[in-house]
Amino acid sequence: MITAGIDIGSSTSKAAILEDNQILSYSIIPTGAESADSAQRAMDEALRETNHLSLEDMGWVIATGYGRVIVPFANETVTEISCHARGANWLFPSVRTVLDMGGQDCKAIRCDTRGKLLNFVMNDKCAAGTGRFLEVMAQVMELPLEDIGKLSLQAREEIRINSTCTVFGKSEVASLIRQGRDKQDILAGLHAAILNRVYTLLRKVGIEPDFAITGGIAKNIGVVQRLEERAGLNALLPEEPQIVGALGAALFAQEKLSM
Amino acid sequence: MVTSTSARKSLQTTLEVPALRKSYYARTLDDSKKGKKVAWCSNNIPGVILDAMDVTAVFLENYATVIASKRLASAFCAAGERVGFSQDVCGYARMLMGYILAPDEVPEAPYGGLAKPDFLLVNSYSCDSRLGWFAAMSRVLNIPLHVHDASHQPDGAEYTERELRSLIAFLEEQTGTKFDPDQVRHRQNLSRQTSDILFDINELRKAIPCPVGSADMFTANWPAMYLVGTKECDDFYRRFRAEVEERIAKGIGVVPEEKFRLMWSGIPFWYDMSLINYVENFGGVVVIEGFYRARERRRPPQDDDPIREMALSSTRQRTWPSGISDSIDDLLDAVKEYKVDGVILSFNPSCRLLYVSQTELQKSLEDRGIPTLGLECDMADERTYSEGQVKTRMDAFVERLLARS
Repeated sequence: MITAGIDIGSSTSKAAILEDNQILSYSIIPTGAESADSAQRAMDEALRETNHLSLEDMGWVIATGYGRVIVPFANETVTEISCHARGANWLFPSVRTVLDMGGQDCKAIRCDTRGKLLNFVMNDKCAAGTGRFLEVMAQVMELPLEDIGKLSLQAREEIRINSTCTVFGKSEVASLIRQGRDKQDILAGLHAAILNRVYTLLRKVGIEPDFAITGGIAKNIGVVQRLEERAGLNALLPEEPQIVGALGAALFAQEKLSM
Repeated sequence: MVTSTSARKSLQTTLEVPALRKSYYARTLDDSKKGKKVAWCSNNIPGVILDAMDVTAVFLENYATVIASKRLASAFCAAGERVGFSQDVCGYARMLMGYILAPDEVPEAPYGGLAKPDFLLVNSYSCDSRLGWFAAMSRVLNIPLHVHDASHQPDGAEYTERELRSLIAFLEEQTGTKFDPDQVRHRQNLSRQTSDILFDINELRKAIPCPVGSADMFTANWPAMYLVGTKECDDFYRRFRAEVEERIAKGIGVVPEEKFRLMWSGIPFWYDMSLINYVENFGGVVVIEGFYRARERRRPPQDDDPIREMALSSTRQRTWPSGISDSIDDLLDAVKEYKVDGVILSFNPSCRLLYVSQTELQKSLEDRGIPTLGLECDMADERTYSEGQVKTRMDAFVERLLARS
C-alpha cells in the first residue's frame, strides 16, 4: 500500500511517500507564487527519490497546509492541525502535546493516544511567533537563518524587545543595531519575545507530556532550549521536523485505504 | 477577503425577510417626507412606545448590519476612521459616523440611506460605546438626545417604570402629542403573542434532525427586533412556526443526515453569513444561537397599566440571565437541551463588552469537555477577516468533532 501526503505551507511545500507504514521518501522545497506548481514540484522530487515510483502508483494522496485546496492531484484534504498531531504521534507514540511552529502560523495541539485531535489553538492575524518573524529579523541582522538560534544562546544579556509585531520589531532591531548593541544580545531578546508568544498558546491548550515540536522552527536550538526551560519538559524533536504535516497526511491516506 | 456572503436558507418563510426589511426602510423615508418625527435609536429602545406615539424609529445597529451584509462596511468604517474614530471603536459606530461626517467618501447607502433624524434615543445599559456614539451624533447633528436607563435588579421595576415615563415625557415634548396608554396596550398584547411564538419555534428547534438552524434564524429574528407589536410581525412568525412544524412532521432537517449539532455564541460576521452553512458540508448544523434565543414564555400580564406592565416584564427579561455566572448556566442549559456537540464563539474585537464575556464562556465550556472554536473577526469590518484562516480553523474543529464520534 503506497500513499502520499503533501503539505503546502506558506514558506515551504513538503511531500512524503509511505509504503506499508514506512517512509519511502520525502521532499522539502520553497513554496513559490503558484501553490499548485509547488505541489507538483514537491511531489515530483519525492517520487524521484524513490527511483521507481510515479504518481499513478500512489493509492491515495491527501493534501494539507494552507494550499491544500489547490493541489490538483490530491484525492482528499485534511487540515495541517490534524496532520501534525497524527504525524507527531506516529513518530513518538507517547506524544500528547504538539507545538507546530511554521512559516506563517503557530499551533498548539493536543492529541490522544492514537494521534487524534483533541484540541488546538492558533495564533491569529499576526506573524509574531512564527518562522517569518525570525526570517525577517535574520535578514535585518544580515545573519544566516540557521545560525541565529545558536547565536542567541551565546548572549551575555537578553535585551528586551517590546514589539512582537514583525514590522515594528524590525524597526526596533534596526534601532538597536544602530546603537551598537551585540547581535547575540538582540537575538536573545527576539527569541525570548517569540517564546512568550508561543508559550501562551501552549498554556491555553494545556501542556501534557510527552511534548513534541514540529515545523521549521524546531530546527532553531535557541527557541527549543528556552521552551524546554520554560515548560520544564524535554521536547521530542523529529529528525526532520518540517515533514511532520506531510507525514500525517500520508498516514491519513494509509488509513483511508485500510478502511 | 470574502468570496461569499449571505447564508443559504432552509425555510421559505425566511426568504420573506429581505422584502419586509426593504419595505420597513422605505416606510421610514416616506414617513420623514410626510413630516413624521424620526428617532434614530439604539437597540432596546421600546419600539411599541414610539409606534404608539407616531414616532418613526430607525434602529442604527440594524442598519449597520445591513451595510455589513452588503459588504460595504469596510468602506464606511474607513470613512469613520478618516474623521477620527479609532479602529478600536465599535464597528457599527465607526460606520455610521463615517456615513454622517463623510457622506461623499462612502458608497451609496443601502435602501436609499437613512431618514433624517429629529432626535436620538439610546439605552444606557447595553454597552458604553453606544453612549459615546450617540452623544457624538447629538453634537454633530445638533439634535436632542435622550438616554434611557433600566434596572438590572430583579426588584428594579419601579426604577424602570420611572425611566419609561421619562422617555414618554421626552417624546411628548418632541412631538407635541399626548401619550395614549390604549395605543400601547394593543401593541403590547401583540408583542407578547409574538414572543411566545418565537419561544415555541426555538423549542421546536430541539428536534432531531434540526428543522431550522441559525442560518435561517439570524435573518428570521429580524421582525421580532424591529417590527415588534405589529400584526405584520405576528403573522410572519405564525407562518414561520407552521413551516417548522410541517418540516418536523415530514422529518425534514437542515441537512439530509445530521452528524453533529453546533451552537453559535456571539454576534455573527454579517459580511459572510455563509460561514454558518459551511459545517453543513460535513453533516453539521448550527442549531441554536447563544445570545438571540427567547429563553422563556412570557408571563401573563401582571398590571393593567401598560407602562407598569412593560417595566415588570422587561425587568424580568433583562435580569435573567444576569451576570456571567447566569450566562454560563444558560449556555450550558442550551448545550444540553439542544444536544449541542460543540460551540463556535465569535470574538468581535470592536465589541469589547462581548469579547470579555466570550473568553469566560469558552473556558467554562472547555472545562466541561464541550469542544469550542473561537473565531476572532469583527462583526462588521471585514478587513479583520481572512476566509482561508477561518475555514482552516472550521475544518480542524470539524475534524476534532468527528474524531470524537
